[in-house]
Amino acid sequence: MTELLELDFMRRALLAAVLVGLTAPAIGTFLVQRRLALLGDGIGHVALTGVALGYLTSSSPVITALIVSALGAALIEVVRARTRTSGDVALALLFYGGIAGGVLLIGLAPGQSTGTLTSFLFGSVTSVSEEDVTIMAALAVLVLGVLAYFGRELFVLCQDEEVARTHGLPVRLLSLVIAVTAALTVVVAMRVVGVLLVSALMVVPVAAAQQLTRGFRATVGVAMLVGVLSAIGGLSTAFYADVAPGSTIVLIALGVFAAAVAAGRVLRRRRGRAGAVRRTRGAAALGSIPGTESGSMRT
Amino acid sequence: MSEVAVADPRPEPAPPAFRVTGAVVEYDGRPVLDGVSFEVPRGEVLAILGPNGSGKSTLSRAMLGLVPLHRGGVELHGVPVRRFRQWGRVGYVPQRLPAGGGVPATVREVVASGQVARLRRLRLPGPADRAAVDEALAAVGLADRARDSVHELSGGQQQRVLIARALAGRPDTFVMDEPMAGVDAASQRALAGAVAELRRRGHTVVLVLHELGPLRPLIQRAVVLAHGRIAHDGEPPRPAGEPARPDHDHAPPDAGAPLLAPAVPGLEVPRRD
Repeated sequence: MTELLELDFMRRALLAAVLVGLTAPAIGTFLVQRRLALLGDGIGHVALTGVALGYLTSSSPVITALIVSALGAALIEVVRARTRTSGDVALALLFYGGIAGGVLLIGLAPGQSTGTLTSFLFGSVTSVSEEDVTIMAALAVLVLGVLAYFGRELFVLCQDEEVARTHGLPVRLLSLVIAVTAALTVVVAMRVVGVLLVSALMVVPVAAAQQLTRGFRATVGVAMLVGVLSAIGGLSTAFYADVAPGSTIVLIALGVFAAAVAAGRVLRRRRGRAGAVRRTRGAAALGSIPGTESGSMRT
Repeated sequence: MSEVAVADPRPEPAPPAFRVTGAVVEYDGRPVLDGVSFEVPRGEVLAILGPNGSGKSTLSRAMLGLVPLHRGGVELHGVPVRRFRQWGRVGYVPQRLPAGGGVPATVREVVASGQVARLRRLRLPGPADRAAVDEALAAVGLADRARDSVHELSGGQQQRVLIARALAGRPDTFVMDEPMAGVDAASQRALAGAVAELRRRGHTVVLVLHELGPLRPLIQRAVVLAHGRIAHDGEPPRPAGEPARPDHDHAPPDAGAPLLAPAVPGLEVPRRD
């Protein structure tokens, strides 16, 4: 581990990966609860249209990618709210539109090919510059700040949008906050670590965490921990085994998910037994009939 | 001197909690509510009854501005629902807790989220807020489950969590959409107890119900809908076969539930799963 830290490029790569590992699962938890787990990937593909537009108009591809993907994320919310389209279909529309637009526009840009887009899809965590790390740090502060500021309202929104409205919450604004924050995370991080890594880290650590936790806050915390550990573990493995770092991080996160599923089973069985004892005691004390209906997960 | 006792029979005229005037809701041109008008005075416990498809759930949602009206209007505490801002006074209990993407949340987290209207942005909950959450949990008998995940609870217990969430914000106006549907006996008692307490405190409660059931003694007035129109507004309908003498003890064990006076058309058998 120490020799890793002696190499400048690895130090920067580790920092960048850890920052994505912290940020992506935090916003990802809200996306997962809102059934928009694939939003990160969708935004990543819309960003390709933005990148191509940047090359075509000779402006900064990152800036155009940011604008186009923020618009795309906002568009998903509009499509969800205004048309008879569920979240996952809205995502699919965005996804295909993004790729098609990107490939079409990059073909029109002089001297560019789809290869340009590929570098944005997969990124390169080992060629991160000092400036990239600063931008990533600023992104992390911004995203975590937004989540801390709006967190309570976003939790209510992700639980039940109608209940959020009867609390007088600005539902449309909050939906946009989630979508634009996700877009910002993806676009800033994709150039550095690639769309695959950032969108995977929005979902996989959350999926792992929810096997083990009982609360929302705990899920966010454990997901961030899983994200950071996968980032560090994946990068060091990639360094020693000389394999692709981004993919290694994602595969390690998936390994953690598999382990969490097994651990979660054991944990719930143990809790179930303890809970049953507590419930029978409580019921006896109240002289009431314990509930017989099994827990329901209706949608 | 005897004049003094009746000196001022009119205190501050408070607007009704809800005023619905000529409400029409259409889905794709098909009317679901067809000109419904009624008022709910403050402090009344009112049941909205009716068979499936009669529009009772739509009515309750329209009363909170969740369903756009095609024609007519809804006022909350004297303010048109679109301009209403005192949402901290309103506690809405939806039919069920959506599972969403399956991210767990503890009972306490869900109940505490009911305070969002009065506790916003960067303010940490104080001792009074935490006490209100404890009180809400105790009111529905779930104090010992506060740290459990809501999705591990039974349907009836989840319903109690939703009511506790509405209580935690300490509103004075409640709308509950079928809180008794598919709820076990223990939860029914807990819910009836919570509604009784709200009535004792003089809060307004609008309940959408399949059947009056254990809530029957608490209901002051019933609005029965049929085909999107009000078929009955007044005394809660009596169960068919209920004897005139209240001390008659040959009533079937579940009297009061599905059997209703023939004057009230087609109230369905409750679903008890």
